[in-house]
Amino acid sequence: MMNLSRSVALISLFLLPLLSFSFSVDNPTDRRVLVLLDDLSLKSSHSIFFTTLKSRGFDLDFKLADDSKLALQRYGQYLYDGLIVFAPSTERFGGSLDSKSIADFVDSGRDLILSADTSASDLIRGIALECGVDFDEDSSAMVIDHSSFSVSDGDHTLIAADDLVKSDAILGKTKIEAPVLFRGVAHSLNPTNNLVLKVLSASPSAYSANPSSKLSSPPQLTGSAISLVSVMQARNNARVVISGSLQLFSDRLFRSGVQKAGSPNKYEKSGNEQFATELSKWVFHERGHLKAGSLVHHRVGETDEPAIYRIKDDLEFSVEILEWSGKSWEPYVADDVQVQFYMMSPYVLKTLSTDKKGMFHTSFKVPDVYGVFQFKVEYGKLGYTTLSLSKQIPVRPYRHNEYERFIPTAYPYYGACFTTMAGFFVFSFVYLYHK
Amino acid sequence: MMARCLARFLVSLLALAICNAASVSHPISDSHRSAALDVFVPLDGSYKSLEEAYEALKSLEILGIDKKSDLSSGTCENVVKVLASPSSALKDVFYALSVNGILKCKTGEDVPKDIVSKLQAGAKDAKLLLDFYYSIRGLVLVKEQFSGTDLTLGDAEAIFRSVKALSQSDGRWRYSSNNAESSTFAAGLAFETLAGVISLAPSEIDQSLIQTVKTGILKLFDSIQKYDDGTFYFDGSEGPISTTASVIRGLTSFAASESTGLNLPGDKIVGLAKFFLGVGIPGDAKDFFNQIDALACLEDNRFSVPLILSLPSTVISLTKKEPLKVKVSTVLGSKAPALSVKLAEALNSKGSSVINNQELKFDADSATYFLDSFPKNFDVGKYTFVFEILLDESANEKGYITEAQTKVPIAATGAIGIENAEIAVLDSDVGSIESQKKLDLTKDGVVSLSANHLQKLRLSFQLTTPLGLVFKPHQAFLKLKHESQVEHIFLVKTYGKKAELVLDFLGLVEKLYYLSGKYEIQLTIGDASMENSLLSNIGHIELDLPERPEKAPLPPLHPTDPYSRYGPKSEISHIFRVPEKLPAKQLSLIFLGLIVLPFIAFLIGLTRLGVNIKSFPSSVGAATSALLFHGGIGAVLLLYVLFWLKLDLFTTLKALSLLGVFLLFVGHRTLSNLAAASNKLKSA
Repeated sequence: MMNLSRSVALISLFLLPLLSFSFSVDNPTDRRVLVLLDDLSLKSSHSIFFTTLKSRGFDLDFKLADDSKLALQRYGQYLYDGLIVFAPSTERFGGSLDSKSIADFVDSGRDLILSADTSASDLIRGIALECGVDFDEDSSAMVIDHSSFSVSDGDHTLIAADDLVKSDAILGKTKIEAPVLFRGVAHSLNPTNNLVLKVLSASPSAYSANPSSKLSSPPQLTGSAISLVSVMQARNNARVVISGSLQLFSDRLFRSGVQKAGSPNKYEKSGNEQFATELSKWVFHERGHLKAGSLVHHRVGETDEPAIYRIKDDLEFSVEILEWSGKSWEPYVADDVQVQFYMMSPYVLKTLSTDKKGMFHTSFKVPDVYGVFQFKVEYGKLGYTTLSLSKQIPVRPYRHNEYERFIPTAYPYYGACFTTMAGFFVFSFVYLYHK
Repeated sequence: MMARCLARFLVSLLALAICNAASVSHPISDSHRSAALDVFVPLDGSYKSLEEAYEALKSLEILGIDKKSDLSSGTCENVVKVLASPSSALKDVFYALSVNGILKCKTGEDVPKDIVSKLQAGAKDAKLLLDFYYSIRGLVLVKEQFSGTDLTLGDAEAIFRSVKALSQSDGRWRYSSNNAESSTFAAGLAFETLAGVISLAPSEIDQSLIQTVKTGILKLFDSIQKYDDGTFYFDGSEGPISTTASVIRGLTSFAASESTGLNLPGDKIVGLAKFFLGVGIPGDAKDFFNQIDALACLEDNRFSVPLILSLPSTVISLTKKEPLKVKVSTVLGSKAPALSVKLAEALNSKGSSVINNQELKFDADSATYFLDSFPKNFDVGKYTFVFEILLDESANEKGYITEAQTKVPIAATGAIGIENAEIAVLDSDVGSIESQKKLDLTKDGVVSLSANHLQKLRLSFQLTTPLGLVFKPHQAFLKLKHESQVEHIFLVKTYGKKAELVLDFLGLVEKLYYLSGKYEIQLTIGDASMENSLLSNIGHIELDLPERPEKAPLPPLHPTDPYSRYGPKSEISHIFRVPEKLPAKQLSLIFLGLIVLPFIAFLIGLTRLGVNIKSFPSSVGAATSALLFHGGIGAVLLLYVLFWLKLDLFTTLKALSLLGVFLLFVGHRTLSNLAAASNKLKSA
């Protein structure tokens, strides 16, 4: 028994560094990911997607969505950093999991990939709705597009979509050349939610309807208002991917060749693998995650930060911004980082110049208004985490002895004083000793 | 739990099958070969274990990809090491021999004696099914690879009986005698083991024993699972792919080892083949191996070889006059024997038959069967084609089997004629035409209309199929898009020969949110059978609608453009207070000069007046106090200058008070001296 407990202690000692290798501020990439499937065969039919995740160092835990032992947290600690829900037909999760606990999971800054499909359950629709995504209410509806479909498809429900969001942060620097194959359900974005955005949109001729029955009323979703895949980045930088197609991640579509109707270009492989891989890099914070050092400022020619500035001081401001590459922090390069010198409203707003090594700096003159100011860096870019930094600094007016001393305009007055004084001195002799 | 899992698997696979309009299976093709190279990627030139190496090499061998030379050195080293070491586990020995069978690392007469005796001992002492499996199959491999050894099992029949003892009444097997749990996967292993025992046996095994195994096999087939599209598989805790592959491997070896032959239901064998082909290309190496290996077993076995009917394309274009092509091949894509393919029936979407009993022509060069002429009444639309394969008598020896009927959904597409497209604005009450325009929908028009809420908009066109029949498209939408991005969709419905949409604006004002102004008109016509689906911007209409009443609903919000949400703001720089305007420095200097002038005039005046200081005291005491007095005054004046230049008020006042006291004292002395001197003068 003694031995056992000792060995347990030893093992846990070895495990300790492993456990601490999970989600943290300094190492924002997710490590432990729970994968919920409504059928274990998805594990093999979507194996390429899972294999790429594993090869990038993720620890995937596959569970059936109705597993009665499902739990995201134990003793108040989250067991996972990310969640993949590939269970479109699940009506109820097993264990303690429900849509509220998934919302809490995202609220705690953790990430989610949610994939619906035709006949998605109310549960999945509900989770998507929390993220500002409305799936088509008609459960038999699919996205149909008679203009941009894959030529191999007789139903025109296998969409060859190429309207991708233009963001290097979300989809990587390499352009996705081949169209992305999609077969699934359409969704639209809630216009009041400005955190969610379309990553893959349908073409203007697309619509959402049941392909095997005649339309009796106009479809709810048409044209480019249809989103096929959307992402949401919450205010706490938690990231969510919502896809209307589970097949998009499947080995079959990863490996499938694609030729878009009406286009002479034939691709050996669809863009799905690249799309899904790049998107998963984004959602699990391997890209587009920024970190800023503290805001540094001082007077020109000095190095120490003053406790207070005087109006009209010249100051230099700098901040270090780094981007997480999945393994290490790399310098972030951009030309649109701005600083505000702020008191109720910005008095100065300047774009920072970068030295390409992660340092951003600028210099400006303190306004001639005194009060308590703030340096504010509020940086948001499509696909990147938002930075919001501020630092308070008071600004005082001139002291009485800091004004200009010898004003040229006053020379006649000075002259009058001193000549009078000299005259008095001379006169005092004349008056007293004249004979 | 099991049943639920299964139901779910079924549902999802069915969903896949339904979505995947063609539930047509395709034999293994080049896409499998290129995928294999991705799936079986060795780490630094070799595989993690011999088991993985075997699976990779076997799959690549079946697919006809030669990668042996790249892999042989590292893997062979492992094989030789395992075979040389007396302490290797049975499992490792088995996989080493399996790899050796492919790579031929060690061949010839040089039989590894210890290995053989180890395997033989293993077979004799085995209690577990897996031990039997590894040792017996190991011996079979030794027999295949090394010639000239006597490998016969001494007590073959006893071993056969002890393996058989592990079987269950439902055809499944247990892994060990004290474990009651039985599995279908184990049954596959057991068949392979028994096949090995039969081939190693020095004399014939008792036929009655073999017969009981055969009935067991038929029992096992009772537990087979089925999908609606005629796909069969075995399910088990190892997953359907592994389990089914194991059973097929076992059956193939068993059928190969004994002479009487197995009589298995043909439709189920075809169903099993369809199951593996329906899996697609697995991304997982294990599944990939199981799929390919099982298909290879189906390709070459002694019970029945399934033939697969596949279509390169399930879409027939009537405009291109392409023939309908059908290929028949074995599961691995090799050539089928002489046979003929018949289109038994072609049903249209209403269920009535369009084509009956038509034999397809054969093109020997491309090995395809094709149907190049369609009957006159064959129009665009969705069809279900039912094919039948008729094997020639001569080809039947090898036991080829096919599906009785293969149903394939076929979409026939064609160019739809669009005629008489016009758009008009009508006066509501009389119905008289206000303005009417002809449209060419293939081009983006520039129609410009205007209407008020008392008028109507009418759009009409005719769609005809290549046969001249009325065509009702699935998608016929008119979209009105206001400048403020608010969109409205209307369905264009087909009445009789004409597709027509009449928009009565009076009834629509509320739906249009009382938004007057310019609306773009966009027409979308599309259908799965329509090759010339179109999205046409017809032009625009200027609507003049009444004012919005207070309580009318507001138009919905539109999502903001994500690109404009972020991005740099325009820079702000502070505007400093302008300093007061001061006169030029020269002007100040001129005035300074002017100020100094009176002083100079004063000095000149003094000299003109002839002033003197003759009454300066001459006595030493008085002169000293006078000098000190004037020095004091000078010091006070100097203090003022210093005050101006740098001193502050406190220092100045301090110094001034000291100087003041001093001045008071010496001033009094000087003045009293002067008074005394003048008194002396007066009195004199």
